[in-house]
Amino acid sequence: MSMSTGFLSGARDRLLPASIPFRFFLSAALFQILAWVALLAGAEEVPGFSGGAGPVLAAIHLITLGVLAMTAMGASYQLLPVATRRPLARTWPAALSFWLYLPGVILLSWGMASSDPRAMLAGLGPVLAGLALFALLMADNLRRAGSVAVVAGHGWGALAMLVAAATLGGTLLLSLASGYDAGADQGALAALHMVVAAYGFMGLLVLGLSLILVPMFVLSRSLPPGPGWAQLGLALAALAALAAGFWADLPLLSWGGLVLAAAAAGTHLWLMQRALSMSMRRRLGLPFVQIRAGWALLVLSLALGALLMAGAPVPNLPALFGFTLVAGWLLTFLGGVLQRIMPFLASMHAAGKSGLPPLLSELTAEWALKLYMPGHFAALALTAAGILLDSPGLIRLGAVAGMIGATAFAVFAGRIAWHLFSRIGRS
Amino acid sequence: MIGSVPGTTWKADDGLHVDTRGLGPPDPMVAILWHVENLPPDCPIIAHLDRYPVHLFPELVARGCRYEVLETRPGDVRILLRPAP
Repeated sequence: MSMSTGFLSGARDRLLPASIPFRFFLSAALFQILAWVALLAGAEEVPGFSGGAGPVLAAIHLITLGVLAMTAMGASYQLLPVATRRPLARTWPAALSFWLYLPGVILLSWGMASSDPRAMLAGLGPVLAGLALFALLMADNLRRAGSVAVVAGHGWGALAMLVAAATLGGTLLLSLASGYDAGADQGALAALHMVVAAYGFMGLLVLGLSLILVPMFVLSRSLPPGPGWAQLGLALAALAALAAGFWADLPLLSWGGLVLAAAAAGTHLWLMQRALSMSMRRRLGLPFVQIRAGWALLVLSLALGALLMAGAPVPNLPALFGFTLVAGWLLTFLGGVLQRIMPFLASMHAAGKSGLPPLLSELTAEWALKLYMPGHFAALALTAAGILLDSPGLIRLGAVAGMIGATAFAVFAGRIAWHLFSRIGRS
Repeated sequence: MIGSVPGTTWKADDGLHVDTRGLGPPDPMVAILWHVENLPPDCPIIAHLDRYPVHLFPELVARGCRYEVLETRPGDVRILLRPAP
């Protein structure tokens, strides 16, 4: 359709090389399968899980480090420069961060699954090095940000939370692997680590990048910055109050933090609803089924957090809360986002010598998504029911459904990558 | 649905000019696609942008819209669009 010839090659030069974001996305797709495998292996321990090495701890970190943070790194390298209008100063450190982070996550999760302290410690260093390199590259890009200050503000908040989460996680791991005494209540440290990593690092990235991505996906006007700043302020205040409340054992402060978190989530959902109401796209498709479900699960995670703090007599509530937060909200939401980002990026990168980008439908495998989504939702429902009913059998069924769904997602991601790189090879 | 369409427009002999310079993402893409979808096919559009719109092209292709890049200087990117008949 393009009347120009050979022009998009110039445009491609301004994009990050496709191999950089896609190596993160493909790895995330594979780690998602491994996470459900680990959950299957540790099904007996899931309902009463309260920490300690084993397959459940490995499953949690295969999702958080292997899928969520891996996706966040790949997406941020590609999308933050778009939002800030400043390209990455250099691309090789982004590739290096991947080659440090990937083996680190493999070693760390293997060490957790097999309760092997040496493997855990061997994995910790590369994971922290990969994350540190990512943080430095993002900080450099945010420092030079020329526009969308509200998105950059969320980016800075997320980086601060990443540093805090990595410090807490490293301390907990040293304690677990080598008996190092951090001089603090391990349970409180672990709870703080989870809140800071999930709601802090990942949550602020999701809240911030959604301000650009969701209007772009649905084709709506840009969102007003005022409510965006309000959601950031409320979220940071909520995280500070929750952290101080947990640390100093001040329940009133923790409740205040939860109210602020609910206000931040409410502001975010109002913004997202505003984008949807202005959408030019007639059909939002399967990804938005998952994105909307992710938003609902964010609210559910906060409700479960409130029940947990109130000491409600819900069976295995800590495990249910953690599962809803990590596999419910974040994994569901990012699964939806990846379904939109990957074909879109591939289309831009795959424009050949003709300058003509392929149709998105040529790159995607809709059938794989139709298998992934029911698998993912069945996994969430069965595992949550298994936790509530103290039923390892249901959790195993949930893990199998998750494995089937995650495998379908990996096929979807692999097919896009195969089409992309074969087109790049041809041109 | 979309509210007011972002950017400024003016009519000239060569078609409808849509100026999206100075707008933040995704407003340039939204403005251009709105005009692509709402103008008759015999009305060419000259889109003015301040940077190369890499995210726009897959959307144009999906709508069967033909395009030609006229100018690519930083701060002054111009694209000629012909909506699908």
